Amino acid sequence: MRSCESIDPLVTPYIDRELPDEDYQAVDQHLRACPPCYSRVVAEQAVRDLLRSRQPELNKKEAPPSLHARCAALTIALTADRDRVDVVKPAVSGQVVPLPFPAKAGRPPAGGPLSARPAWTARLAPFALAASLVTVVGGAFVYQATKRSTRIMAAELAADHVKCFAMNAALGTRQTPSAVESTMLSSFDWRMHLPADPSRAGLELIGARPCLYGEGKIAHIMYRHQGRPVSLFMLPDTERAQGLVEALGHEAAIWCVNDRTFVLVSRQPKQDVERLAAFVRSSLH
Amino acid sequence: MPPDKGLREMPPAFEAEALASLDGLYRAALRLTRVPADAEDLVQETYLKAFRAAESFEPGTNMRAWLFTILHNTARNRFRDRARDTVAVDSDVVERAAEFPPPGGVVETPETRLLRETLAPDLQVALDELPDAFREAVWLRDVEEFSYAEIAAMLSIPLGTVMSRISRGRRLLFHKLNHLRPVGLAKKHA
Repeated sequence: MRSCESIDPLVTPYIDRELPDEDYQAVDQHLRACPPCYSRVVAEQAVRDLLRSRQPELNKKEAPPSLHARCAALTIALTADRDRVDVVKPAVSGQVVPLPFPAKAGRPPAGGPLSARPAWTARLAPFALAASLVTVVGGAFVYQATKRSTRIMAAELAADHVKCFAMNAALGTRQTPSAVESTMLSSFDWRMHLPADPSRAGLELIGARPCLYGEGKIAHIMYRHQGRPVSLFMLPDTERAQGLVEALGHEAAIWCVNDRTFVLVSRQPKQDVERLAAFVRSSLH
Repeated sequence: MPPDKGLREMPPAFEAEALASLDGLYRAALRLTRVPADAEDLVQETYLKAFRAAESFEPGTNMRAWLFTILHNTARNRFRDRARDTVAVDSDVVERAAEFPPPGGVVETPETRLLRETLAPDLQVALDELPDAFREAVWLRDVEEFSYAEIAAMLSIPLGTVMSRISRGRRLLFHKLNHLRPVGLAKKHA
């Protein structure tokens, strides 16, 4: 018969039924003759059985709905932004639709009008609009802005950037600088002047909207640069270190003025983003 | 690698399957960080990394296990960054903590019979009191039902260590649960 020492490492896989037959029998034989090892097995087995029988209760805690929504939005942003979502027509309009998980639901039929595009784009593009509508209409979830890492913040803003541009393309909104400035004043008590001549930096103003973020709202001013979306976010009462972060295939330039944090997000090359951020920073008053 | 290259090779049900694991990932993140806001952050970062590395996922293998591995790796890196090693698993202190007198008796004891009646809240308390390394190993095996090999990949430890941590963790739990119980009750059944 094998010694207790040689049996010891086999006890746990014995209980878990992960041993080859030969070892299994050796352990079995040992346990019949060794009360201390036997009682150890009984105790360990009892705990294992208890844990397994209580699995449903131990697994009851679910992730908050806001986290589900954010992770779904990250998925959408990562996939949908690859191929200009702004040409996709909304699947629904003016109503709150469920968030797209499981993503299988509502998949467009194969060979449909989107079939010329890559499969994943066709599958996910309509959901980008769906998620935007939830964000816009419902405010069904609240982000927690505090203590978030800069990287996650940049990723969330990149996701918002994609969603808002998709939304804007669907609605075809375009605002004048003075309309944007008065929105900023009324929504954020932020008396500001947009860069006087954005075309100097190749920027074209699209419009602005308040986005839900953290426990409140942030300002989102949308531009285009060489036809591609550029977002300027302003987070009130937030201080972040200055820097350039890559998130979800976008570059995010971050800077802070007093207690406001600004983030410029775009898919343009890094040096363009740095240049645009420098321009906005110097000409935004 | 160009950004998001992984997504181009994403199998069709990838996103849906990945998002289906979210609750389990969140629970794991909560165990590791103990702070809900940090747990949410950790889960989001896990998804960011997973979607980026989608091409490294082998279709047909366990996606849940793959996501859990990313989550544990991310958590370890963060703890390292903060110079805070909450997973001080191989230290003498932890190893000594696992030592306790073996239960006596030869056949099923009153303790093991009573153990079956332990309620989930008591069990949760006992689990929470385990040193992190043992709790995580036991949880991944007995609650999440991962294989030894999958757990070894997640915790980045050898297979033998996985088994010994599960073993010690279970025995510690046994010990704790018997201490939670009123003494009179155990005696009455003896």
